[in-house]
Amino acid sequence: MSYYQRTAEFTSRRQQNWSRNQNTVAFVSSIKLGPVAHTVLVALMITVLGLIYLTQATRATSYDYQSQKIDSQIADLSNQKTDLEIENARLTSLETVKNSSVAANLTTPSSTQYVSQ
Amino acid sequence: MKLELQKGSRSRILAGFIFAIVGIFIIRLFYLQIIQHNYYVGLADNEQIKSLTIYAKRGLIYGLEGSTPVPLVLNQTVYTVTADPYTVSDDTKVIDLIEQVAGGNAQPNLSALLGNKESRYAVLAKGLTTVQAQKLKDANFPGIELQQTTQRVYPEGTLAAQALGFVDYDGNGQYGVEGELNSQLAGTNGLLKTVTDVSDVPLTIGDKNINKPAVDGKNVVLSIDRAVQSHVEQALVDGLKRNGGDHASAVVMDPATGKVLAMANVPTFDPANYSKVQDAADFNNPVVSAPYEPGSDMKTLTMAVGIDKGVVTPTTTYSNLGYIDIDGIRVLNGVGLGHLGNITLQTAMNNSLNSGFITVAEKLGDGTNITLQARDTMYDYFYNKFKLGQVTGIEVSGELPGTIIPPTDPQGNAVRYSNMAFGQGLDVTMIQVASAFSSIVDGGLYHKPTVIAGSMDANGNYIPNQTSTPTRSVSQSTADQVREMTHVARDSLFANVDRPGYEVGGKTGTSQTLINGNYDNNQTVGTYLGYGGDSSPKYVIMIQVSGKNKTLEGGRDAEPIFADISNWLINYLQLQPKG
Repeated sequence: MSYYQRTAEFTSRRQQNWSRNQNTVAFVSSIKLGPVAHTVLVALMITVLGLIYLTQATRATSYDYQSQKIDSQIADLSNQKTDLEIENARLTSLETVKNSSVAANLTTPSSTQYVSQ
Repeated sequence: MKLELQKGSRSRILAGFIFAIVGIFIIRLFYLQIIQHNYYVGLADNEQIKSLTIYAKRGLIYGLEGSTPVPLVLNQTVYTVTADPYTVSDDTKVIDLIEQVAGGNAQPNLSALLGNKESRYAVLAKGLTTVQAQKLKDANFPGIELQQTTQRVYPEGTLAAQALGFVDYDGNGQYGVEGELNSQLAGTNGLLKTVTDVSDVPLTIGDKNINKPAVDGKNVVLSIDRAVQSHVEQALVDGLKRNGGDHASAVVMDPATGKVLAMANVPTFDPANYSKVQDAADFNNPVVSAPYEPGSDMKTLTMAVGIDKGVVTPTTTYSNLGYIDIDGIRVLNGVGLGHLGNITLQTAMNNSLNSGFITVAEKLGDGTNITLQARDTMYDYFYNKFKLGQVTGIEVSGELPGTIIPPTDPQGNAVRYSNMAFGQGLDVTMIQVASAFSSIVDGGLYHKPTVIAGSMDANGNYIPNQTSTPTRSVSQSTADQVREMTHVARDSLFANVDRPGYEVGGKTGTSQTLINGNYDNNQTVGTYLGYGGDSSPKYVIMIQVSGKNKTLEGGRDAEPIFADISNWLINYLQLQPKG
């Protein structure tokens, strides 16, 4: 059961416009396409669609090459980072430190004092 | 009319011919594309789709310096330069650039290698870094190729070589941690299955692509402290120079956690050049893989059994005759002669008198015999509580269990157990003895020995492992008494060796070696097992020295190495003297 009841009939604007436009005339084109023209048009459409497909496929492939190039750059940079880490580890290794000029100038303390922590 | 008929007839013939040709094409195409579809798709896939392995990066191995991880084993991408001499046109330019870029990594005879134009393959340089390889790539010489490989790099050189192990040419870890944790370190290779171009560049076209990323190996952090390891290795080398031995081994542990701070052996090897090692025995880690008769170090454990069972105390006296007869066999006091008459077990410990500890074994029985009950008790403590004669599970390849013969075995008789009481007639490894002694030092709590401190996550953050839950070997009271006995024993023999103000204890061990089934007094193994610390024990050190046809003693030859390491550790660990 509805709480509201329609109080008046109404006519849609579309119905009103229909009667207004009933003199509209549709003209038939004088240009007729024959079977050859249809064939050419279909061939053209197929060609265009083919080109669109090729363009998209080529674009996707070009992204692959870009991606590959970036991956290669990442790998190179990663290798360089690793090389630097190794160089850092070698430069801070105990053997390097022991043989450094700083270590050569160190002396053994004559006595050690301790403080309470 | 006739002409039209003829024309129509030709047209029909032509049309029929064309239809026939088209029909043949259609049938052929139907055959190729429908019936033979799977076959040709397979051929195309084989040609276009490549399965590329995505190699997992092997996990790195770190050590510690204090509580800071330091790299011990890293990975490096290196390049090998190869040439097709037949294709190389300008030898001089190639040689000049390789010598300039590769330096010492270039082969010495580049002219001869490239001059041999009949050869199609020559290795010109090895081990080039990424930067060096890039310079050669940029030169773009025809006939020159760069092959990429990954190798392990050891920034600390030979440090802890036997504990680390190495990675062989097939990428498999061998020996040490590399061998034991190979599956964790290796990771899991990934798979990239995709359409590729002629240069093997993966393309996203196709609907059968598979991209399964590699899972890199785990980065582990060892408990081995770089500075401690380095000092221990140097101390062993110095010790062998003094005593003329051939082999020395050492293990340093934290008794409160079971973590190994150092594990060293001499001779050692260079893991970066493992293929040049002459004697494969150098790869072994005797600390875990060479069971031996521990000798008098065992007396501390025998004493612990006696005290824990309530049959003796350090002040218990016995009549020392210099020997004891067991089932008709006379067992002599080996090293410590004299001290005859009624003496305490502390005196027996101080002077390493075999008779004292056979007495303890007898008291575990009926007082005068090492009965089955005594042997059962000793076996229970040695095997089940001190974990001797079994693998400890330490994460180092090649660990051997050794042997503790049970009383149920016909050989597990009273004579054998009398020998076991002072360290003969059983085979154990250093890591077993050091771990058992650590439990005495740590109040009777046995921690499983480990060389793993934690792991390193992908962001380089150190994640320490939880300390393992200990098991109880002996009571706190027993442990404290035995620890004090070793402290007194050390003071009685090496009073002026240790830095004043610190508690240091230990026990000497000198074992005869079994040669052709007989004990040889002319070839002995010297050991020293001790601990040190300030208000509480902070480290346990075990030293072993040996040599072919060498009579090496614990007190004379192993103890000085212990003292060297112990006094150095007091400084390194910044221990404060008592009072």
